[in-house]
Amino acid sequence: MIQLTINGKQIEAPEGITVLAAAKRAGIDIPTLCAQKELAPFGGCRLCIVEVQGFRVPIAACTLPVSNGMVVNSETETLKKSRKFILSMLFSERNHFCPFCQVSGGDCDLQNAALHEEMTYWPMQPAWNDFPVDSSHPYFILDNHRCIVCRRCVRACGELVGNFTLAVAERGASSLIVADTNVPLGQSTCIRCGTCVQSCPTGALIDRTSAYQGHEKAMSQVKTTCVGCSVGCSLNLFVHDNRIVRIDGDWDGAVNHGLLCEHGRYDPMQNTHDRITTPLIRRNGTLEPVSWDEALGTVADKLKPLAGREQAGLAAIASTRLPVEVLAMFTELFSVGLKSKMVTSIEEGMTTAVLNAAAEKHGAFEGKLDVLRNADTVLCIGANIARYHMVAGFLVKRALPKGMHLIDVNTEAGPLDEFADLALKIKPGSDLALINGMQAIIVKEGLGRAALAIADPDAVIAEALQATGLAADRLAFAARMLAHAVSPVILFGKGITAQRDEKQVEAIIGLATLTGAVDGERAGLLALKGEADSAAGALLGLDQPFSLDGQEAIYVLLGDDFASKRLLQKLEKTPYLVVQASYHSALTEMAQVVLPAVLWSEQAGHYISLDGRLQEARQAVHPPEGVRLNSAILAEVAMRMNMPIKQDWQAMIHGRKSSVVLS
Amino acid sequence: MPKPRISTDWMCGCAGCHMSLLDMDERILQVAELADLRSSPITDLKEPDKSGVDVGVLEGGVNNTANEEVARKFRQRSKILVALGDCAVFGGVPALRNFCGVQAALQRAYVDAESNEPGSQIPDDPELATMTKTRAIHEVVPVDYNVPGCPPDADVIFYVLSELAQGRKPELKDDLLHWD
Repeated sequence: MIQLTINGKQIEAPEGITVLAAAKRAGIDIPTLCAQKELAPFGGCRLCIVEVQGFRVPIAACTLPVSNGMVVNSETETLKKSRKFILSMLFSERNHFCPFCQVSGGDCDLQNAALHEEMTYWPMQPAWNDFPVDSSHPYFILDNHRCIVCRRCVRACGELVGNFTLAVAERGASSLIVADTNVPLGQSTCIRCGTCVQSCPTGALIDRTSAYQGHEKAMSQVKTTCVGCSVGCSLNLFVHDNRIVRIDGDWDGAVNHGLLCEHGRYDPMQNTHDRITTPLIRRNGTLEPVSWDEALGTVADKLKPLAGREQAGLAAIASTRLPVEVLAMFTELFSVGLKSKMVTSIEEGMTTAVLNAAAEKHGAFEGKLDVLRNADTVLCIGANIARYHMVAGFLVKRALPKGMHLIDVNTEAGPLDEFADLALKIKPGSDLALINGMQAIIVKEGLGRAALAIADPDAVIAEALQATGLAADRLAFAARMLAHAVSPVILFGKGITAQRDEKQVEAIIGLATLTGAVDGERAGLLALKGEADSAAGALLGLDQPFSLDGQEAIYVLLGDDFASKRLLQKLEKTPYLVVQASYHSALTEMAQVVLPAVLWSEQAGHYISLDGRLQEARQAVHPPEGVRLNSAILAEVAMRMNMPIKQDWQAMIHGRKSSVVLS
Repeated sequence: MPKPRISTDWMCGCAGCHMSLLDMDERILQVAELADLRSSPITDLKEPDKSGVDVGVLEGGVNNTANEEVARKFRQRSKILVALGDCAVFGGVPALRNFCGVQAALQRAYVDAESNEPGSQIPDDPELATMTKTRAIHEVVPVDYNVPGCPPDADVIFYVLSELAQGRKPELKDDLLHWD
């Protein structure tokens, strides 16, 4: 630890951190605009200047590393004057019309800094130069008039997301934030993650939905977990008057460290689906509103006689977008209570079943997403991290400029191609041949880090080339790149798991072992899975294919999820369909009974992320009247059939071997 | 001791700051007890006494030659000049005009606007003041106290006036300092 003094206070700081960070740790406030948690020190705004004993001139605290015996002062009269001058220059450069800016009055770092220095006016008036405003983006507006060119957005786009859409054009006072080569944001390479908007310290990036909806201090903040996919990003919801006004990534989030993708940040805000607010029963072909009592009674009367029946019995299927608690109750009610043989999830274990099967043999063979931090080569196969599990994709993309290599294997062209060192396009269904081929090349060239015997590597390689359609040098290049890596990581997705072919998973574990991706304590192998609670669904055994053989009734626990066309087709001929869902849909149109359930933000519970983190989701808003909790509906149905549910989900998720370490 | 004398006027603003002044409700009686309100847009007397006042309060920025005259007159006749509100302090909303220039703004307002009768003209009566760039008051004459806010709260105005009336220096900070 380093000993130093800031503003007369003796403090300790770990070696290597900056004076600004050390001050923050010690609870000393040094004003700053361009510094932000997660972003590398930049030293752009100069507001954090401090005086250091022995230094000739004031220096920016955000780029100054701490050293032993340092005596720092941030509150001298000279510095206060300098800060006012710096702020005056910032205000003079652009056009800050505070009265009609959405962040004025508490949410603007620039204005707060000026108020902190007790500035009552701008000593230097603006030159009233006109700057461009870009409103071509669906989610936000870029107003360069309000920009201080701190580059937090540019840095967030590059350093955190790895997308490098935003940049600075021109020089000095004419500097502009632009997208790509100065094209409209809406037509740029922007992937709409909104991290730039979350990073902006002024009102220059205007969020279309939350602007002018109130100040942050007037809202409550709810920290919860995103249910968009299995990555498990931490959210900070801004809630006002029982309405989510804005969704931010939680900078303290364990997985995402502030990042979110379009699906996590904006999709829930664009929700226009029609809510179901009362239970419905089909009479004479049309769904009619009924009381909860009648609906639940009808369901219980229908289901109870079907318990344990082999022929014309009962099936149940649930969304894995629901909390573990709900999935556990669902499993207990239908598998144990009603003894149905066909109880599964709408993912049907396509992203998890083979992993759990492999876990029986290998134990928890998958690692944590954190392993990407130190990875030098990533092989991504059978997954599209540019479209799904996007935040995991960001963690990969942002490491590329630091020298990490990416081998992306896919069946078709995608947005990740231009980022990857090697974008291998293979024929559909040839993943296994590719993996085997890579192993064979590594074994043949003696590059393996673990023993593996392959009788005829040349034959395997030839087969791989034939199956994948790749050129020999491309495949060899990929194999060598992975083999030469010091800390390789292999990410894989549905392309590997969906066929339920255990050989594919065995092959990928083999490749991981051969290349040292999995080596003792190190677990550089990770499946991306599917929905928010895919892993929980798998642990609860909700992973068998949904095949029907004349069931009399089917209970669909959909929550706020949506049924695929494939599922709708399967359910078409069901005599009696009970749907527990939030929205009117093609599925509810087929139902005999519809039970209105809450949305993700209206219930509390836990989710198990793709790398096994058991994370809490909190209730942010109250559901509309007439809508009930998913757990309450299941409990009520169970009670009416005299099948009390134990609700011991913690024990239930440990009943099966997991491919990820639960934490 | 005679009560300190106060004059107010508005220039290129919306009168909102004077509305905010009236918003101090019954406390305006306290101000009246402490000070002698000589002139304002809402009194019979419209300009500060030639003999001068102790405190001059100006709302709005300076956007024409008439405003310039008012600003100079207030500066000349006031011991202490207060710029009240964002337009007076920064230029405010009227300063948006500075991006397009006076001529384009007049053209839009008097000729091109959808609500104008066909054939409408920009007024050119020689009696009219000449439009200029919109400026904060401190760009035209020295200002002693800038009181930002759009408008400044009644509490802020009461604080500033009562401090000045009692010969003290108002210090705007914390809750009393806001820019919107």
